[in-house]
Amino acid sequence: MGNEAMYEQLKQAIVDQDADAVLEAVNEALAEGIDPRDVINKGLLPGLNVIGEQFESEDIFLPELMQAALAFQAAMTVLEPAIKEAGGADEKKGTIVIGTVKGDLHSIGKNILKLLFETSGFEVHDLGIDVDLFKFIDKANEVNADIIAISALLTTTLIGQRDVIDALKDQGTRDKYKVMVGGGATTQEWAETIGADGWSGSAYDAVVKATELVS
Amino acid sequence: MHMKHVELLTAKQVERVHEASLWVLENVGVLAHHAPAREVFKAHGCSVDADGLVKFPPTVVAKYVQACPSSFTFRGRDPQYDRTIPDCGPVVVTGSSAPNVVDPATGVERRATSTDIANIAHLINELKGFDIFSISTLADDAPPGQFSLSRFYPALKNCLKPVRSNTPNMDDLRQVIRLGELIAGGADAYRERPIINHHYCPMVSPLTMDIDSTEAVMYLTERGLPVYTTVVPNAGLTSPMTLMGTLIVGNAEFLAITVFQQMVKEGTPIIYASLPTVADMRTGAYAPGAIETGMLCMAQAQLGHFYNVPTGGYIGLTNAHSNDAQSGYETGMNTLGAVLAGATLLNMGGLFSSLMAFDFGKAVVDDEIALMNKRVVRGLEFSEDSLALDVIAQAGPGGDYMKSKHTKSLMKTTALFPKVADRGMRAQWEAAGRPDAQSRARAVARGILSQPNPAVWAPDLDARIRAELPGLVAGDAVWAEAEGDA
Repeated sequence: MGNEAMYEQLKQAIVDQDADAVLEAVNEALAEGIDPRDVINKGLLPGLNVIGEQFESEDIFLPELMQAALAFQAAMTVLEPAIKEAGGADEKKGTIVIGTVKGDLHSIGKNILKLLFETSGFEVHDLGIDVDLFKFIDKANEVNADIIAISALLTTTLIGQRDVIDALKDQGTRDKYKVMVGGGATTQEWAETIGADGWSGSAYDAVVKATELVS
Repeated sequence: MHMKHVELLTAKQVERVHEASLWVLENVGVLAHHAPAREVFKAHGCSVDADGLVKFPPTVVAKYVQACPSSFTFRGRDPQYDRTIPDCGPVVVTGSSAPNVVDPATGVERRATSTDIANIAHLINELKGFDIFSISTLADDAPPGQFSLSRFYPALKNCLKPVRSNTPNMDDLRQVIRLGELIAGGADAYRERPIINHHYCPMVSPLTMDIDSTEAVMYLTERGLPVYTTVVPNAGLTSPMTLMGTLIVGNAEFLAITVFQQMVKEGTPIIYASLPTVADMRTGAYAPGAIETGMLCMAQAQLGHFYNVPTGGYIGLTNAHSNDAQSGYETGMNTLGAVLAGATLLNMGGLFSSLMAFDFGKAVVDDEIALMNKRVVRGLEFSEDSLALDVIAQAGPGGDYMKSKHTKSLMKTTALFPKVADRGMRAQWEAAGRPDAQSRARAVARGILSQPNPAVWAPDLDARIRAELPGLVAGDAVWAEAEGDA
């Protein structure tokens, strides 16, 4: 199969939200000697772009977006080592530390966002739920994060988001990181009040925002 | 009043839901994050593994569910406002803990303060449709260490009806109880008549018990202080993408927390309270205004009858961001459905965007909806007298009822007199500048709030409280008259 046809096959497998088909196509492409980075940039990413458009126009729903993202994630488990082997540098967009704020055990939104972040090329460190404010900061220091992303569903745990920002200010490291806040209890106005760098009402928009923040 | 409740499920189906919930509890289990809770389960016949996964033998569930009383009482500062469900049902409770308020003067959404809470408390005290004041907002002006006091103090100070809300941690809970004791005149007096009603969501769907809320529920239950919980399954995200599957996850969670409370203290009054939703699968959006919420609440009312416990929950929320048609039909249709199915508690009242912002006009409209729902439950008042046969005979064919003494004696009580609904002629409406429901509702709110609040407690009690709890917010209902209508 020629390269163009191969890229088309990869793209279609993503659009079909079919993890098995994606893995098959990826392995076939690598066997044909195609550069793993081209597999991503010329095959899989165009597929994700189509998925993105379909989601925005409500032609596909959230679970379908997730399926496509999971299919891409499956592909990356093969492609990442292949890139390293080929001596390629990690072309990640940025590093994000994410978690749900102290006192809050809700995780679904955060998990959806984590997947979408990874799908769009970010390296994500997920601290889970009920995360102490210093854990956010310590992890960000450890992995040299670009963004700290904090989720809160309960209105009564919201102040935890402000606490992280205030702690960074106290430590004199506020400018080291971009802080994004989100979750069911948050609004744009809340984000501005506490001095966050970004807020989004949906996982999808959060990815767009994060990309803006690292460029 | 005899009302045959609407039943969306057959009796056999209700039993099947119960059986299926037992199966879930026995085989899938509940993950308990709070270590002391694990010990409670272990000590009362459940198996708990090293990770905190609790499995419930059906006999254990049956034993503790049977221990549940069939009623729950809310107490307020003034005993005439105490409400016991199901007998006094449906009771209407405002929605709780929104971070924002729509500023009544400017119409702009902003962070809510303790003054807003005081004003809202005053409003709810005066609106006849509301029975219980669940503290509608947070207080952005809370001094450090007084997050909850800054909410409960203005609420209790300005409202004689039962006050209900949550606390985020044990320090706050102890402070709030201390406030209750000061109001009651001592710890013993408070235990005799606890006037603060607590509420938490310790169950995180699916099938998980958190730490902070579970700790609070355990603490209050041990001490016999009134507390109830709400389960919140969300179809497609935290429960199956079927209404029945969501009903089962919610029911299993209800049974788990109920059994837990009975294990801690047998005979603890509880409520089968829920906010069951179906996520909007287009985007994953949270959709409590959807008709599916009402339907699930209706089915839960049947389950409550099955367990012989009062039911209800967050029914009547809207996703709308303004007092528009969406707000009206979402709140109206869902609450009516719940009431017709026999739900005894409606946590509805005053909030936009699900649970995000309190609006004074919305609270007035919701009061009207509440009164309409209560009118339904009051029924047709059948009696030989109310057939009015002698009156019919007297008026005769072509007769006039307007002049009769009978009509005059009943004209103020047969039907509701809505404050917001406009029944005048169109021409009058045009002449008045085409006021919509929101502007009429806000006028009602202004009318109430511009008067002094009769519910405020005596200055010497206030002085005693403020001496014991220094640094408290002022907590006064202060209403600044605004130009025009926002």
